[in-house]
Amino acid sequence: MPANKKYLTTSPWQRFAKISAGFLGGYFVTVTFHLALAAWFDRVNIMISSTFTGFIIWATLLIVTFLAKNGWKMWGVYLLLTALFYGIVQLGKMYHPII
Amino acid sequence: MNIRSYNIFFHLHTVSGIIISAALFVIFFAGSFSFFRDEIANWQKNESVSAIETGVTTNFDTVIDSLQKNYSLYGRDIEIAKHYNERRLDINLSATKDTLAKEEDKAGTFFYLDTKTFKNFTYEQSYTLGEFLYRLHFFAQIQYPFGYYLSGFVAFFFLFAIITGVLIHWDKIVSNFYVFRPKAKLKTIWTDAHTALGVIGLPFQFIYAVTGTFFMLSLLMAAPSVALLYDGDQQKLYEDLEYFDKPVTLLQQPLSDVPSVEKYITATKQQWEGFNVSHVHLYNFGDESMQIAVEGELDRSEKFTGNGKIIYQATDGKIVYQKNPFTDISYLDVVKNLMYRLHYGDYSGFSLRVISFILGLISCFVIISGVLIWLVARDKKNIPLKKRKFNAALVNIYLGICLTMYPITAASFIAVKLVNPASQAFIYQFYFIGWLLLAIAFTLKKNLYFTNKYTLLLGSIIGFLVPIANGLASGNWFWLTYKNENFQLFFIDVFWIILATSTLLITFKIKRKPA
Repeated sequence: MPANKKYLTTSPWQRFAKISAGFLGGYFVTVTFHLALAAWFDRVNIMISSTFTGFIIWATLLIVTFLAKNGWKMWGVYLLLTALFYGIVQLGKMYHPII
Repeated sequence: MNIRSYNIFFHLHTVSGIIISAALFVIFFAGSFSFFRDEIANWQKNESVSAIETGVTTNFDTVIDSLQKNYSLYGRDIEIAKHYNERRLDINLSATKDTLAKEEDKAGTFFYLDTKTFKNFTYEQSYTLGEFLYRLHFFAQIQYPFGYYLSGFVAFFFLFAIITGVLIHWDKIVSNFYVFRPKAKLKTIWTDAHTALGVIGLPFQFIYAVTGTFFMLSLLMAAPSVALLYDGDQQKLYEDLEYFDKPVTLLQQPLSDVPSVEKYITATKQQWEGFNVSHVHLYNFGDESMQIAVEGELDRSEKFTGNGKIIYQATDGKIVYQKNPFTDISYLDVVKNLMYRLHYGDYSGFSLRVISFILGLISCFVIISGVLIWLVARDKKNIPLKKRKFNAALVNIYLGICLTMYPITAASFIAVKLVNPASQAFIYQFYFIGWLLLAIAFTLKKNLYFTNKYTLLLGSIIGFLVPIANGLASGNWFWLTYKNENFQLFFIDVFWIILATSTLLITFKIKRKPA
C-alpha cells in the first residue's frame, strides 16, 4: 500500500485514452447493447431493466478498460461493439417496427 | 488474481474513493436522517399522524369543497396526492382548459392543504428541516440540474469504488473479515475497520449505489432510446413505461351537479380490500367529460408490489381503465416499485428504517476510514515533505467538513424549535453558515484527533438538548407524547437521546494513539 506504480499507466495520453474509452466508449456500448436487446425482445422490460443493469455494466466496462495495455485499442473495441449493436438495433426495427 | 490487476484495481479504488469521499459522506449522512424525513417534518410542526402510512383518509368531497372556496375549478385537471406521511396533501391545479374562463383561472398552481384545518400552504411555507436534509442528500440546494447530476455521478463512482473494493479483497474476503487488531498501529486499525465494515455494509451500499444512480441518472439510459429506438417519439416511450394518462378533451359542457368523488373512492376501496389511495386525478373538473382516476397501492405487508389504478367516467361511473393491484402486476411495476422501496427502506415498518439509519452511519465510517488509510499510507519518509503536507492539509479539510455535519445537524433541530416558524431561508442560513463556521474552526485547529473527538462531543451535547428544546418550546415533552401516543413526536426526541448517548460513549473511547 499504496499501489505499486510500476503496474500503473504512466503516459498521460494512455491515461486519457483509458479514461475516455471507459467512460464514453463504455457508455456507448452499454446503451446500444440494451437497445439491441430492446429491439428484438420485450422492449418495455429491457428498457426498465436498463435503468439498473445499465449502470452496473457501464461501471464494469469502466473498470475493465483499465486492465488493457493500450487505451486506444479499447476505444477501437468499444466503437466496433457500438457499431455492431447499432446494426442489430436497425435490423430489429425493420423486423419489429415500433411505430 | 495476478499482481498487475491487483495494483490497478487498488489504484482505481483509491483514486475514485478519494475524489468522491467528502461528497459521498454528505450524501450518506444527510441520507441517513432522510429515512426519518416525515417524522422530522411532523416533529417540527408538532403534528402527529399515524405512524404507518395509510394513504389519503380525508373525505375527498370536503377537500374539493375547501378548494372551491378559493378557486374556480371548472375545466381544470386537479391532482390530490399524498407523497409523505404528513397531515398535508399535495394539491396540483392545472390551468383551466375552458377558453372562455377568466384570466386568473388560466394559470395553474401548487400548494399543500392541511387536512385538519383546511388551510393552504405554499411549498416554502411547508418547508421543514426534514425536507432540507432529504434534499441535501441529493444536493438539490445546488442549482438544478447540477446538484442532481453531481450526486448521480457520485453515486455512480461509488458503485465503481464498491466493485473495485470487492475485487481487491476478493482473495482474502473471508479471512480478512475476521481480522481486527485494535492494539496495532493506526494504519492497521483503519484498514481492518474499513474492510470489515465495508463487507458488512456491502449489500446495503451496493443497493444504495445502484438505486441512487437510478434516481439521478436514469435519463442517461432512457434518453438515447428516444432517438435510436423510437425515432424521436418521446410520447411513445412515456406511454410504454406507463408514465402518464391520455389527455381528455374538454367538451365545454359544464355539469349542473358535480358528482361526489368520495363515492368513487369508497367504491374502489370496497372493490380492492386493503387498498390505500395515494393519488387522485380529476380530469376536466365539472365538465361532461370529467374523469376520476384513483391510484394507490395495497398494504406492503400484504403485497410488496401492489399498485392499482382505476379511471371512472364521472357522469355515469363507467370504468374507462382498470389495473387490478392483485392481478395486473407486470415486471415494469415490480422494477419501478423495487427501486423506491429498496432505497427508502419503507417496506418493513420502523425497525428497517432504524437498521438502515445505522448502516448509513456505518457507511459514513467506512468513507472516513478510507480517507484516513489514504493519508496514513502516504505518510512515509520516502514521500516528499511537500506532498505529505498537502495530503495532511487535504484530509484535515475533509474531516473538518464531514465531521462537523453532526453538531450542525443537531443544532438545526434546536434552531427550528426556537425560531418558529422556521422559514426555508432561515434553515438554509442557519445550516450552511453554521456548518461553514464550524468547518473552518475545526480545520484551523489542524488536528485530526481533536476534530474527531470534539465534533462528536459537541454533537452529543447539542443532541441531548434537542428533546429539552422541544419540550420547552412546544410543551411536547417526550413522556407526554408517549402517553398521548404521538409516536412520531416521541420518536425524534428519543432518537436524539439514544444517538447522543452512543456518540458520547464513543467520545470517551477516543484516545490519542501514536501513529
